[in-house]
Amino acid sequence: MRGTPEHELVERCRNGDETAFRELVEQYKGLVFAIMARSVAEPARAEELAQEAFLRVHQGLPYFRGEARLSTWIYRIVANLLAQERPDLATVSLDATFDDSDEPRVQPGADDRAFGDMMLRDRLDKAIRRLPVPYQVLVNGHYLKGLRYEDLAEALNMPMGTVKTHLHRAKRQLRHLLETEFR
Amino acid sequence: MRCEELEPIIEGLADGTADPGAEARAHLAGCALCTRRGSQARAIHELLVRREAPAPPPGFTAGVMARVQRQRWRAERAVDLGFNLAVAAGVLLIVAGGVGLAWSLGLLRIQANLAVLLEAGARLGGRVAPQAQTIGVAGLLLTMALGLWWWAEADSSF
Repeated sequence: MRGTPEHELVERCRNGDETAFRELVEQYKGLVFAIMARSVAEPARAEELAQEAFLRVHQGLPYFRGEARLSTWIYRIVANLLAQERPDLATVSLDATFDDSDEPRVQPGADDRAFGDMMLRDRLDKAIRRLPVPYQVLVNGHYLKGLRYEDLAEALNMPMGTVKTHLHRAKRQLRHLLETEFR
Repeated sequence: MRCEELEPIIEGLADGTADPGAEARAHLAGCALCTRRGSQARAIHELLVRREAPAPPPGFTAGVMARVQRQRWRAERAVDLGFNLAVAAGVLLIVAGGVGLAWSLGLLRIQANLAVLLEAGARLGGRVAPQAQTIGVAGLLLTMALGLWWWAEADSSF
C-alpha cells in the first residue's frame, strides 16, 4: 500500500496532522455509522459507538502496520465493538444449524403477502439485530457498502469460503426469523 | 432430491452465488415449499441490496474530533500531573538541602545580625564554591526541564 493516498493519510495522521484525521473520519464515517446504525436499535447509541470506533482508530493508528487495508482494519474494530456491545450475540458456531421444526409448515401455494409488504423492511432490520454479531457484521458490511468477500474475510479473520457460507447461513437465519418471530 | 437437501443452498440460489444442478432445478419446478422458500430468500436478498445506508448525523465528524481532543487533553493532564509532581519533589529536595546546609552551619540559631549574617554568608560561599560546577549543572538541568515543560504546555495543537 506504500505510496497510495491511504498510506499517506495514515502517515499524516501518525504525525499528528489533525486535518488528516478529520479527512479519515470523513472518508470512513459512512461505513462505520451505517454498520452501527443497522446493528444497534437506538440511534444515539449507534452514534456513540461509531464515534468510539474512531477513537480506537485514533489510538491504534501508531500501531497500524498497513498489512491490511485501512477499511479492513476499521471494519475489524467495528466488529469488535459490536461484539462487546452484544456479548450475548458475540459468537456464532461454525456448525450452527437450524431446527427446521421452528419453521411453520406452510401449505403449498400459501400467500406470500408477509414477504411483499412495506413492513418487511422494518421487520428485516429487527431480525438482523437478532443475528449473532459476526452475522450482523457480515450482512450489514456486505450489503450496505458492498465490501468485497476478501475484505470481509480479512476483517473477520475467516477463510473466504467460510465468509460465503456464513453469509448464506445469516440470510437463512433471517428467513427463519421472519417466518417465525417477526412474522 | 428432497426439500431438506435443497434448503441449505436456497440462499445461494437466490443471490446467484450457487449454481442449481439439473436435479435441484427439477425439484424446484415441482415443489411448492421450496419454491416459496426460494422466493422468500430472493425477497430478502433484494431488500438487502436495495436498503439505503443510514447517513451519519451532520455533526458527526465534529463530535469525533471533540472526543479525540478530550482524550488527548486527559492524557496530557496525566503527563502534566506527573511532571508537576516531579518538579515539586525536586524543589522540595533543594529547599530541604538548603535548610539542612543552613542547619549544619548553625545559621538557623543566629539572631538577625547583619555582621554575623555576612560572616555566615562568606563562610557558606567558601564552602559552596568548590561545588559551583555541580550546582551550575543542576541549575541548568532544572532550567531545561522547566523550559521543556513550558514548550509542552504551549504545544497544545493536535
